Amino acid sequence: MFSLNLDKQQDTRTQLVENQYSEMVQVTVAEVSKALLGKEHQIRLSLCCLFSGGHLLLEDLPGMGKTTLSYALAKALGMQYNRIQFTSDLLPADILGISIYDQSSGQFSFHPGPIFNQLVLADEINRTTPKTQSALLEAMEEHQVTVEGETRRLPDPFFVIATQNPVNLAGTYPLPESQLDRFLMRLRLGYPDQRAERELLEMDTERDKVESVQQCLQLQQVTDFRKRSAQVKASSALLDYVQRLIAFTRSHEEFHFGLSPRGSLALMRAAKTWALMCGRDHVVPEDVQTVLPAVVEHRLRAMSDEDGHTGAALVQRLLSEVDIID
Amino acid sequence: MDISYQIPRAALIWVLAAVVLVSIPQAARMPLWIAIIGITCVVWRVLIFLGKFDYPGRWLRTAVVICTLIITLTQMRNIGLGLDSAAALLMLGFVFKLIEMRSKRDVYVVVSLCFVMCMVSFLYTQSAVITLYITSCVIAILTSMIALHRSQAETSTRSNFWLACKLGLQALPLTVVLFLVFPRIAPLWSVPFQSNSGETGVSNEMTPGDLALLGRSSELAFRVQFEGGPSPMHAALYWRGLVLEHFDGETWRRTRPGSAYAEAAQRADFNLDWEDRVRTQGGPLNYNIILEPTQQPWLFGLHLAQRQTSSLLQSRNFEIFNNGLVNKRLSYDLQSYTNNQTDLILLDSARRRATQLPEEGNEASRAFAAQLRQSVNSDRDYAFTVLGHFQQNPFFYTLNPPLLGDQRIDDFLFNTRNGFCEHYASTFAFLMRAVGIPARVVVGYHGGEYNRFEDYMMVYQYNAHAWTEVWLEGEGWVRFDPTAAVSPERVEIGVEAALSEDPSFMEESFFGANRFGGVGWMNTLRLRLDALEYEWNRRVVSYDETEQYDLFARLFGQVTDQKILLLLGGLASAVVAVLAFIVIRGTPTKSSDPVNRVYARLSRELDKIGLPRQSGEGPYSYRDRVVAARPELKEPMGTLTELYVELSYRQYDEPADKLRQFKKQLLQLRLRLSPLTR
Repeated sequence: MFSLNLDKQQDTRTQLVENQYSEMVQVTVAEVSKALLGKEHQIRLSLCCLFSGGHLLLEDLPGMGKTTLSYALAKALGMQYNRIQFTSDLLPADILGISIYDQSSGQFSFHPGPIFNQLVLADEINRTTPKTQSALLEAMEEHQVTVEGETRRLPDPFFVIATQNPVNLAGTYPLPESQLDRFLMRLRLGYPDQRAERELLEMDTERDKVESVQQCLQLQQVTDFRKRSAQVKASSALLDYVQRLIAFTRSHEEFHFGLSPRGSLALMRAAKTWALMCGRDHVVPEDVQTVLPAVVEHRLRAMSDEDGHTGAALVQRLLSEVDIID
Repeated sequence: MDISYQIPRAALIWVLAAVVLVSIPQAARMPLWIAIIGITCVVWRVLIFLGKFDYPGRWLRTAVVICTLIITLTQMRNIGLGLDSAAALLMLGFVFKLIEMRSKRDVYVVVSLCFVMCMVSFLYTQSAVITLYITSCVIAILTSMIALHRSQAETSTRSNFWLACKLGLQALPLTVVLFLVFPRIAPLWSVPFQSNSGETGVSNEMTPGDLALLGRSSELAFRVQFEGGPSPMHAALYWRGLVLEHFDGETWRRTRPGSAYAEAAQRADFNLDWEDRVRTQGGPLNYNIILEPTQQPWLFGLHLAQRQTSSLLQSRNFEIFNNGLVNKRLSYDLQSYTNNQTDLILLDSARRRATQLPEEGNEASRAFAAQLRQSVNSDRDYAFTVLGHFQQNPFFYTLNPPLLGDQRIDDFLFNTRNGFCEHYASTFAFLMRAVGIPARVVVGYHGGEYNRFEDYMMVYQYNAHAWTEVWLEGEGWVRFDPTAAVSPERVEIGVEAALSEDPSFMEESFFGANRFGGVGWMNTLRLRLDALEYEWNRRVVSYDETEQYDLFARLFGQVTDQKILLLLGGLASAVVAVLAFIVIRGTPTKSSDPVNRVYARLSRELDKIGLPRQSGEGPYSYRDRVVAARPELKEPMGTLTELYVELSYRQYDEPADKLRQFKKQLLQLRLRLSPLTR
């Protein structure tokens, strides 16, 4: 499942153009890599997701470094962050905040919940009830929350990095498609390769690796990056290719349903950011192909699918069967 | 089967259009009720599509099948087993299939049947017009097939139609080649034509009324082209068919009925003693006749015709026969000596046959003849006196003669005096024989219409005519046409002029020769159409084994078995080679974008060293893969990839310039690769 991602890692290096943007990304990736060894490509993709202004869903088995990645990212980007551990008895109010009667002033005062942060780490999101999940997801979509009739804006930028265990583990509430769609990307980290594993084992086990991650980007830089990436050029030849990809998902019988317009928009946005991260002002097919698995895997489902994990195979078909030229 | 499958609207429309188109030629020659059933089924299918009607239930379908079988069986009993009844059965099955056409498979069946119906049309006629029509039908069928396989959103009706036209045009060269070289295999089975409907034209017996029936038909009998020199005068165009010698008081026949020997003798080839019996003056007249199928063996020609086509036979009465029935259009060459005398000495047996009359009957006529003969000196004068009798008394030329009583000759001669040519010929011959002068009736055609566009004559069924030949001492057989005495314009100008007032003339035809004769351009159109048919028949339909052989001989010299085998083998391997090439090469990606086209060329170049671009592979990934496999190509691949990305994805300001650069680079790469590939 990860072989493709590892292949693409090599591509990424070869199509790099040295300039301030690619350098910036390079530095950040190196910084986050201190905490998570041998996962440059996944780190790059998560950065791409955040630079695109989208929310990230990390999905893997327990102990693969999901939480570590989230923390490291938050620290490297210098964001104000908070972590919510989702459990089955968590209530919406625990996330959004609650109004408490203040006896001294004789008024209700609002105590904001952990969601009022620039970066929210929603740990094990599929362990909580759908009710609580939807409270979070609504906030993600609208960038605002309504508590007791009053609408409050969330800080800007606002990112959610959610992690979840594969849904077939016990005691989970799988996210429905409509909510999965809200995440720009879904990433899997996978086992570290041999070299990284060895390095990990050789390291000082006492030290907290996340602690060593330094802030290397200013908030302003993140916002700039986001603005700049919107200006990346997508030629008609490239748009043709993207349209063919989308049409393929909609016309072939193996696909339970095709890619939604939100999905195709997400794909374009991520591809543009990726192009900029490589230092280019135009999108090439490789950009689309690199972000494609992360962006669309969780939005696709095969006809014969039961647990929602056949997207990867479908993406492989998309990559190999849709040609870049007509 | 997917119950909810709906045949696409465009496909359904085209399928129904194709069905209607291919059915029209069939329906035109079938009983009306079949056409009505056909229309009902088409309308039913449209209503099913609109959701106003449902598919027929199981019981209805079973009932329909049983009814069809019963009807067809009765049809077969009534009109006999043959093409017509089989075509009717096919047609019924075909239209009934429409109303149970639900799934794609059913549409395939209907489409295949459409092609079969096209072929059935060709069994009846292979004229140029019908060929054109069937071609348009085939285009409609192709369009329906295309519409069936393309989704609605993908295409418009018009583009389906153009694609079908394109396919048809692409098939044209192959069609021509197959037409020219495909072996003409004799049919493995023959289709029996219905005996009652198949035979057309004059028959070997003549009862008054027969030819008048032909006078109502404007079907073509044959076409004639004279070689060199002007064609003869209209009055001289007596197309001799059969000589009828035996009269039983009502009907003229070629032979005494039931005489197998006489039948055989008359069909025998008497060409051998031709020279002794014939005296000719002047040069011969050469001409070619293309006879429409008659299902009869006899042919037509001017008197005195000598066959030029070797397969023909000639009887002792100088009739011409084909070896076998004329069941398809037949072209034959004749040479006629119009200035001739035959049988100056009449054999006794021939004289007996030419003076035979029933023992009794028509006594008044016999008495009239004897009395008239007494009043003149010679047989010749007698004949002219009889003609004068027809001329001077109120005899009329009409297609609608009144019914005659038992004593037919008497009745006609003294009472009704209204008749068509056969009445006059029959009566005249009777009057001759009554006084012992040898005489016989000849049936055939007279006249014809000249087509100036291709310089040939058209002879129609309404040109059917009967006249007499009388043997006179010292002159041999002399042609007498008693009709000319009654209606001179019949002979001088033509039957059209003589009968232009007669309402029943050609009443069975719509586009008859003279219905629109008065309208100038209509007539021109008709003549042009016929000229087209004539050329079509001469050049295409008549292309048979012999002509094929001639063509081979002209192209490859002497035709030997080896050469034919070599040619066929060569053709077959050429086809296989082309197919193999297409299959091995795969579908070439022909892109409309010039940039993509040259980029595809790069992939083809690198394919030679085993590094084609794979489907879905981006330019950078491709470059990296090629460079990894062939590090020496790093520099040109890098440049080409950069150029391609700039052209295609960066959209440089001067694409033409960059494209030129790309092509130059590509050429250099090719030059670099050429030692590698060799």
